[in-house]
Amino acid sequence: MKSEGTAKYVAFSVLGFLVMAAGFLLAIFLPGTDGFLRILPYICIGAGAGAFGGNFGNAVREHIIKKNPGIARKIEIETNDERNMAITGRAKAKAYEIMQVLLWVLTIVFALLQADLYVILSLVAVNLIVIFSMLYYIDKYNKEM
Amino acid sequence: MRNRLEEIRKQKGLTQEELAEALGVSRQTINSLENGRYNPSIVLAFRIARFFGMSIEEIFVFEEE
Repeated sequence: MKSEGTAKYVAFSVLGFLVMAAGFLLAIFLPGTDGFLRILPYICIGAGAGAFGGNFGNAVREHIIKKNPGIARKIEIETNDERNMAITGRAKAKAYEIMQVLLWVLTIVFALLQADLYVILSLVAVNLIVIFSMLYYIDKYNKEM
Repeated sequence: MRNRLEEIRKQKGLTQEELAEALGVSRQTINSLENGRYNPSIVLAFRIARFFGMSIEEIFVFEEE
């Protein structure tokens, strides 16, 4: 099961690297194009680098864990430790509060800068999705606990 | 909530690391429990009590504010 996981991470990191390399090649050999082709290389570089970095890191971690069972046990303890989980939960809750304020500030700033309506409406939609997600999970956990 | 965890652990000749390993929690959790900075879940309190062969009340002292 673990080796399957490592193989999956390696495959996705190779894929990410190829997408990133393709992005660089497109940027070099297709300069001065218009429309979607103009931004395609940068999307490829961004998405490829993200996929490569994340999956390569996971592959290395899986490899180290497989070679050192002691580290695997330590990671398992650290991950499932109830105090660590409580701390992470609190930190996420605080970050959520900060994010909510920042999102509304950003929305107001864009409105004051007279940005396009679709930009402002997108930010309002994101704010509302975040708030309704919270309400959904409050209701869900109320029923479960 | 006060507790006698440090005293009991030392009586048994265990280090924080050893107790943490036996309970499946981090050493920092044991340290925080002993310093009274963190109150354990009821599950962890039971695990600690069972590990030492004691009742929860013998280890954790509930003080009403």
